[in-house]
Amino acid sequence: MIGQLQYETTPKYSFPRSLRDAGISKRIVELSLNSMRTASGRIFDVNNEELASFFTERVDDKYQLPIKDEFFPASIVPLRAIRDETPIIGIDVSSIKIGVTDAGAIYAVRGAVVTKINNRYRYVRFGPLPFHITKENIHEVFSELSRDLSVRFHLSPYIDSQIHLCNVIEKRLRAYVSRLVRRSIILWDGSLTAGMQRNLVNDLSKMLRTARENSNIVIGISKDTSLKFIGWRITDLLNGYKPPCLFEIRSPSLSHAGSLRVLGRIYVARLAKGGCAFRLDIDKAIPREESVVAVEKLIGNEMLYQGYPETLRLAHIYSTFTASDVIGIQRLLIRKYGLKLVAHDNMHRTLFGPYGTRLGD
Amino acid sequence: MRLFKKTGNTMHILCFPDEEVEKGEYLLIEDEKAHKSMIVQVIDIEFANVPGVMEEMLRSSSIEEFVEGEDDDPLDIMSHILYIQDARLLICKVHGTIVNGKLTSESSWLPSRTHSIIRKIPTESLVKLANIEGSLPIMIGETRDSFPLAIDAHQLDGRLSIITGKKGTGKSHLSKILALGLADYGAIVVILDLNGEYTSLGYNQDGSKNRYYDKIKVLSPGKTFKVTLYQTNLYVIMRTLVYALGLPGTSAREFRHIWKFLEKTGRLTLHDLGEAIQNWKCNQHVKDALYSRYSALVNSGFFTDNMAEAISFEKMLRKTERNGGGIIIIDLSDTSPSDRQMVVEYVLAKLQEALSQWKIRAVFLFAEEAHLYLKETYWDDIVTRMRHFGLFTTFITNQPNTIHENIYRQADNVFLLNFVNEHDLQIISRAARADAETITSIVRDLPSHHCLLLGKVVKDFPIIVKIRSLNVKTMGQTRFFFAEKREI
Repeated sequence: MIGQLQYETTPKYSFPRSLRDAGISKRIVELSLNSMRTASGRIFDVNNEELASFFTERVDDKYQLPIKDEFFPASIVPLRAIRDETPIIGIDVSSIKIGVTDAGAIYAVRGAVVTKINNRYRYVRFGPLPFHITKENIHEVFSELSRDLSVRFHLSPYIDSQIHLCNVIEKRLRAYVSRLVRRSIILWDGSLTAGMQRNLVNDLSKMLRTARENSNIVIGISKDTSLKFIGWRITDLLNGYKPPCLFEIRSPSLSHAGSLRVLGRIYVARLAKGGCAFRLDIDKAIPREESVVAVEKLIGNEMLYQGYPETLRLAHIYSTFTASDVIGIQRLLIRKYGLKLVAHDNMHRTLFGPYGTRLGD
Repeated sequence: MRLFKKTGNTMHILCFPDEEVEKGEYLLIEDEKAHKSMIVQVIDIEFANVPGVMEEMLRSSSIEEFVEGEDDDPLDIMSHILYIQDARLLICKVHGTIVNGKLTSESSWLPSRTHSIIRKIPTESLVKLANIEGSLPIMIGETRDSFPLAIDAHQLDGRLSIITGKKGTGKSHLSKILALGLADYGAIVVILDLNGEYTSLGYNQDGSKNRYYDKIKVLSPGKTFKVTLYQTNLYVIMRTLVYALGLPGTSAREFRHIWKFLEKTGRLTLHDLGEAIQNWKCNQHVKDALYSRYSALVNSGFFTDNMAEAISFEKMLRKTERNGGGIIIIDLSDTSPSDRQMVVEYVLAKLQEALSQWKIRAVFLFAEEAHLYLKETYWDDIVTRMRHFGLFTTFITNQPNTIHENIYRQADNVFLLNFVNEHDLQIISRAARADAETITSIVRDLPSHHCLLLGKVVKDFPIIVKIRSLNVKTMGQTRFFFAEKREI
């Protein structure tokens, strides 16, 4: 009897169809349309200066982790690439403020999921979707968007609607991908940290658990980090070591870092020769050895550009808004919802006439 | 379309992808509140400077080759984004204003950005508005909006015109249309035909005679165009000797004495002139100079002592006028460069003589590549002085640098065919009848057999026209060695 080798087939996914089937897009689109109806016929102020400031990169780990300068016993782990056709999936979401109405503000969100399966890259873009966020509908919009995420939305005067909108959509996409894919490496843009609110931690934990249940490993990659260790930026710690290599930041202070919960094991990695070093957060529930193997699979099955995974780079490129995107969205809003465009400087004058300006204005 | 900005007499108009506008077309900016409409011409089309387009293109071009994907764009926003990215900016020149249905040259007012309506103005409306066709129309061809454009022959009368364009764009074809059009209205047209391209104007393409046959005379110097010295007065022969054959001043003075002596004794023949030069008592160098010019006159075959084979050019001009106009073609194709100059000098001198003595009213002269047979001193003479006698010239050339800048500046009409060479474009942009930007931008993109009409023939509204075909036997084709392998 001739022994027959068992080959495991590489999973195939149809993201757009699955997105629709899962009802994820339907509900978000409905919310977008409902919110936009409240903007119908309103005065619309486009602040180009504010827009210009958007086209600058944000720092990934907005949560500042206080790492105490303790001794760390870990050592540099040299990596060897494992080529086994493990699917790599990158997720990124971008948002932008499109303009201001007399009732609130209009934001647009776009998400991108890029897969590398069987040596082929494919992308799915979701959006752009505009949202008109006002005092009246902010609670409804975010509550609805957060419904399946076990996140309870609390209206706070300090909430940044744009960031929150972006985060909620990103979480939905991450949750959806964690459920859908099997035996894959899922790359998130950013770290695996959450605020101390229980629901936020639960939410992140749930996503990581779902991913694990499907034999996936989530890796968060931060392009920029302000984390410092014994006076050094953590990404500088690998200077002088031969890539690819990994270095774990082990610090007792990291598990409960002030108001943050760190759900990942924090590494600094330089994945390619000549590439940059990045902060890598890998699900803490994954055994340490398995985490290292996951990174080795990442470098074996993924193309690295300056040491950065191509799927995540493409997801970022596909989701990011350009200035022409913004103008196109503004055009749609004006045509579809009859928004009355006013120059930024004239907003006060339009609303309040001669009472809206100071002397000399 | 939306009015974007105005700088000087240049308007910038934003145009969206579903609005089709081409270079050279006219637009009407209607400001109902001001009760005025501004006429502008599109001289260039650029992509609108939409921010972020570069990023968008880099995004798609760098990755689309190896990444497939789909967009789940439920609100179809991408179509709006792409629409914006394809927006164009029309660079336009102001050409006047319509107030109460009347065209004025006013361009100092500013139409409203917010409520002006911009639409294309059909050539037909423009032609009517500017009264371009006039009472003596010469059909030139079709405009881009399929309007058959005719120019008024009055606008060639008393005018200086230039036809220029690179090789093979249809200059001669256009000049044939103009010449035949003028002849139709009884004008005398003289063509200095360098390559024998016009010699078959009297024949249809199939070789049969056309309706112009009897109106066309082809003169070949040395063959069907010979003159006696007796018909040639001293003024004409002196010009020929000095300008065409480069006779020095002292020798010219001596020649005048010889000529007058022969005239007085009634022996003004070629034979007697030769004898007189040889026997004339004067400096040997002068005698040699005179004899060498005499030999050139004899060898040209243009001069004869046989009255029977000689032609009176003046009589021919008068007869042409009496018969209701026609075309006299001087076929210079088989004439050497020096003989060519001699013949042209003779023709021009005779024309001037006939015109100055009011023997004929006026002559339309078509001069192909005039720099090959016209002395520098003649250019200004033709353009300024001879114009007052009734000699109205059309210069035809594919080398715009051979025509002097002052000729361009004084040209009333310029017919421009395609040029791509920057140097050539610079030269032709000196034409005073249109701004340099209009010329260089439009002419660069003119397809073959399309012409940009400038000047009085189009009442200073530059118009692009596709030159109509002409049922005339073609003679100007280039001869090819591998002719059998070429598609005709």
